Amino acid sequence: MALLEVRDLHTYFRTRAGEVRAVDGVSFDVEAGEMLGIVGESGCGKSVTVLSLMGLVQPPGRVVEGSALFQGRDLTKLQGRELEDIRGRDIGMIFQDPMTSLNPTLTIGTQITETLRRHLDMDKKQARKRAVELLDEVHIPNAAQRLDDYPHRYSGGMRQRVMIAIAMACNPKLLIADEPTTALDVTVQAGVLDLFHELRAQHDMAVIIITHDMGVVAETANNIIVMYAGQIVEQAAALDLFDRPEHPYTEALLAALPQLEGEGIREGRLLSIPGRPPDLIDPPPGCRFAPRCAYAGHDDCAAVPPDLREIRPDHWVRSQHPASERAAEPVGV
Amino acid sequence: MLTDRRSEFEATLTRTAEARSQEAGAAIARASLLKDALHRFSRNRAAVVAAFAFLVMVAFVTFVPIFRDADPNAVDFSKAFLSPSLDYPFGTDEFGRDLFVRTALGGRISIAIGFAATFAIMLVGVVYGALSGFAGGRVDNGMMRFLDALYGLPYLPFAIITLAIFGRVNFWTMVVALTVASWFTTARVMRGQIITLKENDYVRAANALGARWYRILFRHLLPNTLGVILIFVFLELPGVVLGEAFLSFLGMGIEPPKASWGSLAQDGYTAYQAHPYIIVIPSLCIGWLILSAFFIADGLRDALDPRTREKF
Amino acid sequence: MLKFIVRRIVWTIPVILLVILMTFFMMRLIKGNPFQVTERPVPAAIQANLDRKFHLDQPWYMQYLYYVRGVFTADLGPSLLQRDRDVNDIVKEHFPVSMKLGGLAMLFAIVVGIPLGVIAALKQNTAWDYAAMAVVNAGYALPNFLIATLLIYFFAVKWREETPFPTNGWTGPSSWVLPVIALGHAPMTVLARIVRGSMLETLQQDYIRTAKAKGLRWRRVVGLHVLRNSLIPAVTAAAPLLGYLIAGSFIVETIFGLPGIGRYFIISVASRDYSVTMGITVLLSMIIIVANLVVDILYGFLDPRTRDVRT
Repeated sequence: MALLEVRDLHTYFRTRAGEVRAVDGVSFDVEAGEMLGIVGESGCGKSVTVLSLMGLVQPPGRVVEGSALFQGRDLTKLQGRELEDIRGRDIGMIFQDPMTSLNPTLTIGTQITETLRRHLDMDKKQARKRAVELLDEVHIPNAAQRLDDYPHRYSGGMRQRVMIAIAMACNPKLLIADEPTTALDVTVQAGVLDLFHELRAQHDMAVIIITHDMGVVAETANNIIVMYAGQIVEQAAALDLFDRPEHPYTEALLAALPQLEGEGIREGRLLSIPGRPPDLIDPPPGCRFAPRCAYAGHDDCAAVPPDLREIRPDHWVRSQHPASERAAEPVGV
Repeated sequence: MLTDRRSEFEATLTRTAEARSQEAGAAIARASLLKDALHRFSRNRAAVVAAFAFLVMVAFVTFVPIFRDADPNAVDFSKAFLSPSLDYPFGTDEFGRDLFVRTALGGRISIAIGFAATFAIMLVGVVYGALSGFAGGRVDNGMMRFLDALYGLPYLPFAIITLAIFGRVNFWTMVVALTVASWFTTARVMRGQIITLKENDYVRAANALGARWYRILFRHLLPNTLGVILIFVFLELPGVVLGEAFLSFLGMGIEPPKASWGSLAQDGYTAYQAHPYIIVIPSLCIGWLILSAFFIADGLRDALDPRTREKF
Repeated sequence: MLKFIVRRIVWTIPVILLVILMTFFMMRLIKGNPFQVTERPVPAAIQANLDRKFHLDQPWYMQYLYYVRGVFTADLGPSLLQRDRDVNDIVKEHFPVSMKLGGLAMLFAIVVGIPLGVIAALKQNTAWDYAAMAVVNAGYALPNFLIATLLIYFFAVKWREETPFPTNGWTGPSSWVLPVIALGHAPMTVLARIVRGSMLETLQQDYIRTAKAKGLRWRRVVGLHVLRNSLIPAVTAAAPLLGYLIAGSFIVETIFGLPGIGRYFIISVASRDYSVTMGITVLLSMIIIVANLVVDILYGFLDPRTRDVRT
């Protein structure tokens, strides 16, 4: 049994304009110690997916269907105290914006020790000691003195490290990182990602990392899920995905990466994918990517929604025109 | 291999980009800011009800004296202290005067004073605050220190002393007294607004293009504060109306025979035991005005704040 | 932290001086000779004597300085009308009443208003929320003289036999109840509103999501994380509330016949006893300024970010 088994998750938001189907049938597994990357554009449902796992989806959103078995227990069916026990202790989470994710009126020390005292029943002294150790682990200099500082004294990169320290404080089996480096400078990004590797190696922890930046998961993830418009459109081992992407959307994402050197270096403009993601209240009846797809033609792409199928061992794709099956010329226009 | 894919896809993209982009995506309706704001305002039910209630009150004070026969100043002791009835919807006072029309006339004065004072407060407050915020540095500091001192003066005594200086209480002296005692908050908020807006890039751009300071202030900064100003109008109005009511109730209101709601309430206070309606009715009118103004301000705040409430 | 406090205190001194100056000027602008209580003009010799006694023969800046010295030595000068009494005496006699009234009213506002706001926020859009806000809004709109009158009407007139609450004079604790409610209900509504709004906003913040993700018990999340951040705007609103309490006390004291300083102020203006008027105004100003100071310092405690910012 995998550490986390998500099956057919549906999370909808009830709004005045209609029901927004933010997550519409998502399933995946995460094994212990594995790193899963979830990539996709803003609004594709990747954040909502993991928030659903943690029970952090705010009304008017709710999980309408599906299950998420964590160590055999269905997270979507847990309430109140049981969920609170798992959060922070067995599953840690860090969020996108370190500037607003810490309480400005409490010291960093308090925000770390409160987790420790809540889940591990430590007393004040023990908790402080452990908090200093944690800050050291994430390479915050002068940890002992800085424990009593307030968040506004820390830089963005440092705050994100603190968030990581907090999330890891109780040695969770699973760490969820929602766009952990998006709000940081590139140089700081690298440092934070290195930190991830280090901690993963030391603690044998599974990680789900969400990003819209392929580069972030390229070197590190074991498996990658590509999401679009609330659904998974491609799912494969990282190497296989980058080597032989199947779904037109994945190809487009990879093609949009700027290249500075190498054979395929292009001169001219950066590529972008034309068009915009579909309306999630009333998604297109057929393939959701069809309006923007170069290969959707006068066949039934716009009418018949494709299923997720295993095109190769451990490589799934939701498309009628995956790369390996394409004829020589694309059909489009 | 990655690069093979890229060049192939790239070729495809350039061929199909034009055709696809026209189909994809939803059309973005271009609505004007005003229409947008009106639409948002109308979604706040309390604000809409309040706006309606406000208009009802304005209609009441405007039209009742025109269409009603009774003379507000006619003294007729045989009709004194009549309870509310069909003939006299609000009853009569100790002099037999019809309270329905007196309340309406009183409303005219209360509301007029309210708006006049609010307008004056806006004028003084906006100018002071905008200049202070725009000037910045020592000038700003000095002006704010002065404002701090003014904050130290208690509201009611300040207004009362101002009235004492004038020696008499009529419409204009009341307006001045209320304005003088209440303009500080507006000034401070305006200053804050201008300071925030000053940092915007478009101001820097205007500066770089050589625009004069008054152009920047009047063309770029102030128009962006109109929303806040409008909200503040409806926030200050209740305070001013209440202040006038307080002053009137304490005996420092507009000299008779003119009356405002506050002085009507004061009239009614002496007789409340037997005839509570004389004080209750004008007080309810004041409350009506205050409540509707407040909810309108709330609705305006929602309408003019572009941040949406619903987070996905 | 200490530096912050000291800096703040030092700043109040020029403010106080400025306030006294402005009050001083305004009082001088009021026409009329306070010594002229009858129709006949005051005889010249007596007038000269009075002038000398009250420093009125000196240039205005000297008068001002005399007055400032008086303020700082707690001597507000003699009453112009009541020859044998000082303003100090009058203040000493009436001020404690107002202070008690105002203090209790503020307490009432806090004890009732804050929990109302918290409940309304936590149970947003439910019956609890609507009920609480209905009460709050009704209270906000109705002027305190109406509330006071209604309270008196019900307790003194309709329920005369059963009621234990007297409605006139400042006798025992039971006589405080109605005036405190009349004065405190409006600040209570303001606080309830502010707390509710502030809590709703805080609940949306990212750091609350973090707190939940840490698995902290909801009680702690609300009690510590949410409340501490939500109460900050409430504290900021406290200072203007003081201004309202002062204004309201004038009315409540008048209606309930309480021998407080507000009522006395009105009397002094009507009887042209201007040194009393000025003394009370200056006193109230000092209270406001000190209260603002306290609020600022309290704010510094609550929100650590403000301590490091230059004022």
